[in-house]
Amino acid sequence: MIIGDYKATYAADEAIFRSWPVRYGFAALLIALAVLPFGANGFIIFLVTQVAIYTVAITGLNILTGYTGLISLGHGALVGVGAYATAVFANWLGAPWWVVMPIAVVFTAAVGLVFGLPSLRIRGLYLTIATLAASFIIIFIIEHWTEVTRGDSGITLAPATIFGTPLVSDAQKYGLIVPIAILAVLFAQNLFRTRVGRAFIAIRDADYSAEIIGVALTRYKLLAFALGSAYAGLAGSLWAYNFLALLPTQFELQLSIVFLAALVVGGNARTLGPVFGAVFVVLIPEFLKWAFGLLTPLNPTIVEYTAPANTIVYGLLIIGFMIFEPMGLAAIWTRFWRFINLWPFSP
Amino acid sequence: MKVDRRTVLKGTAAVAATSAFGMPAIARAQSNKWVFAGSSPLTGPFAQAGTTALKDLLDWVEMTNDMGGIAGKPVELVHEDSGYDPAKSLANFKKAMSADDKPIFYSGDSTGFMKLVAPELQRTPVICGGTSFASDLANAQTHPYQYIAGPTYQSMFDILLKHVKDNGGTKVAFVYSDTEFGRDPIEHGKATAAALGLQVVHEEVTKPAGAEVQTHVAQLRRADPEYVILHGYVTGVWPEIIATARAFKMETQFLGTFWGMEKVIADGVTAKAGPVLDGYAGVLPYRYFYEAKDSPSYSQFFAFKKQKYGDKFPGYVVTWSLQPMFSHELVKKSIEDTVAADKEVNATNLLAALDNIKNWDSGGYMGQPVSVVNRSVPQGRVYRYGADNKLFLPISDWIVT
Repeated sequence: MIIGDYKATYAADEAIFRSWPVRYGFAALLIALAVLPFGANGFIIFLVTQVAIYTVAITGLNILTGYTGLISLGHGALVGVGAYATAVFANWLGAPWWVVMPIAVVFTAAVGLVFGLPSLRIRGLYLTIATLAASFIIIFIIEHWTEVTRGDSGITLAPATIFGTPLVSDAQKYGLIVPIAILAVLFAQNLFRTRVGRAFIAIRDADYSAEIIGVALTRYKLLAFALGSAYAGLAGSLWAYNFLALLPTQFELQLSIVFLAALVVGGNARTLGPVFGAVFVVLIPEFLKWAFGLLTPLNPTIVEYTAPANTIVYGLLIIGFMIFEPMGLAAIWTRFWRFINLWPFSP
Repeated sequence: MKVDRRTVLKGTAAVAATSAFGMPAIARAQSNKWVFAGSSPLTGPFAQAGTTALKDLLDWVEMTNDMGGIAGKPVELVHEDSGYDPAKSLANFKKAMSADDKPIFYSGDSTGFMKLVAPELQRTPVICGGTSFASDLANAQTHPYQYIAGPTYQSMFDILLKHVKDNGGTKVAFVYSDTEFGRDPIEHGKATAAALGLQVVHEEVTKPAGAEVQTHVAQLRRADPEYVILHGYVTGVWPEIIATARAFKMETQFLGTFWGMEKVIADGVTAKAGPVLDGYAGVLPYRYFYEAKDSPSYSQFFAFKKQKYGDKFPGYVVTWSLQPMFSHELVKKSIEDTVAADKEVNATNLLAALDNIKNWDSGGYMGQPVSVVNRSVPQGRVYRYGADNKLFLPISDWIVT
């Protein structure tokens, strides 16, 4: 039972940061993120940037799957739409990133809306299969519409610029991408305190009941697809400006599965779930690689065994989280801060 | 005094170490070792090829260091698993380039990686080779820091089509996987066929794995080509297509490109399905390892392996290993030439040295003197597989395109 959660005002009930540890914890995180580029090497900065991009993408999936209950296996492909839209429009228009990025977001939202149409007639496993088909269609188009996407050859784009400075180093790209990702997560946190967000949750819990209490299913289901896809488009756009080169194979089904796994491990229907999920899928494999790498000096060929072991341990960790903490890492995090908040009266 | 392999290696090492004192000043001022980094598919669909190639590459480095290293300095090999995922390879690249000991050479493991890393190389230049033969990469204008350790897939098609023409063929079909790898040389192949007066009577696109082979072979049978070029496969699909075609009594001559020319795979198919691959032919840029009598480099590596592993060494090194070994030989040669010219060993100078490799004796990896043209080495030879002796044996001269 949750105790120590008494609120005396509506403002307290609606607060984003509901306790002092969360407030100060968030502030400490912001400070850490602000100083990171000055102390870390390029690889660490690259990984954190990747975590930020994945966080935006998984937040989009969280809106669709975690909050609205519409399971999608096409989210990776939608990130691809955002990335390719960014590269294509940037090359065509020669426009700056702050013009191209919104165009890519709106374009991806429109594509997501089209692929969300089946959700009006089908749901559950059938909808999942429909999104899987959408993923294949999108990748097929990207691969074969070579006049626009350059197909298998891949497409490149010029780096984003700020005040005439091209953002080419890892730290420079980090400076653009991480703040946008933080804003995107805060927007999602706010979304679920609004009428729209609550309508999504009502649809997830029981769509017929939601309709009875006045939620327009058609409108909100399509809105969920559009919003989730907009986040995918934003993630894709950030991805494009981070890598500066794109290939269709990067956005195939495996990426969608990684996003879905990250959401489950991180904790779906929680704002912090995508953050933890992104940290897990990006950093844990690197950590395991480093840990197993410590054995390499003993025998250079041991990598033949440690590389598969790394993959197996990673898989076991995912299974372990699902068995022992099905609410995800975000639930552990919440419990931890609740403990701190109530200490020394913690249960 | 008994002169064995160890004695020769120690002597060579001593000479090399002594000569290090006489090495040009710039090279002496640089790091005391050459760091070579790379990504390998140690997990995922190409794990078998990746792990085998990495073990052979580690042996190549050990042998090179036993012989005094490169220009008097030892080589350190740093490799990480990519799972054949270009994004993971790129992360490995970033990690390598962020290390205190930065590599002077990076070896990629896929065409995808080579394309993804291109913008990154503009910022952190390093000479970059790898397992890809993608035609796009053989272009110093678009990929200024990359090279191919052999002919491009387009050049391989040129060699095969020339072989078809030389053998009186008129009708050819292309069967390829629906991947970047598979599609790479097709348009070029059609243009080359037209220029040679050959008729491309059919094109069949398959999945890269798990293809509906019977349907594809039925289409091929209807087109009735004299030659079929299979491309875009590594371990699967191509043997099934040939086996099914033989079951359909098709007498078409099947031809393959580098990744479909491994003896271990052909032997495995023969052991399971009988002599269906007998007569299958294809292009290989390097000699097979069992042709060591024509290759001092292979003989040297054979002796090293035999010394290290004894009877556990089967005497054969797979083609998947020869490719990265040759790639590293090209870098070794570039470093030696750069040091000899008393220039700093950096990406720009190494690439200049690479571009200047002309008529170089590769120690028998290739049959013709090696000249780097458009960042590739466009030569190869057609080999045919015999199910009785389980060998690919040459049926053409070395062809330079």
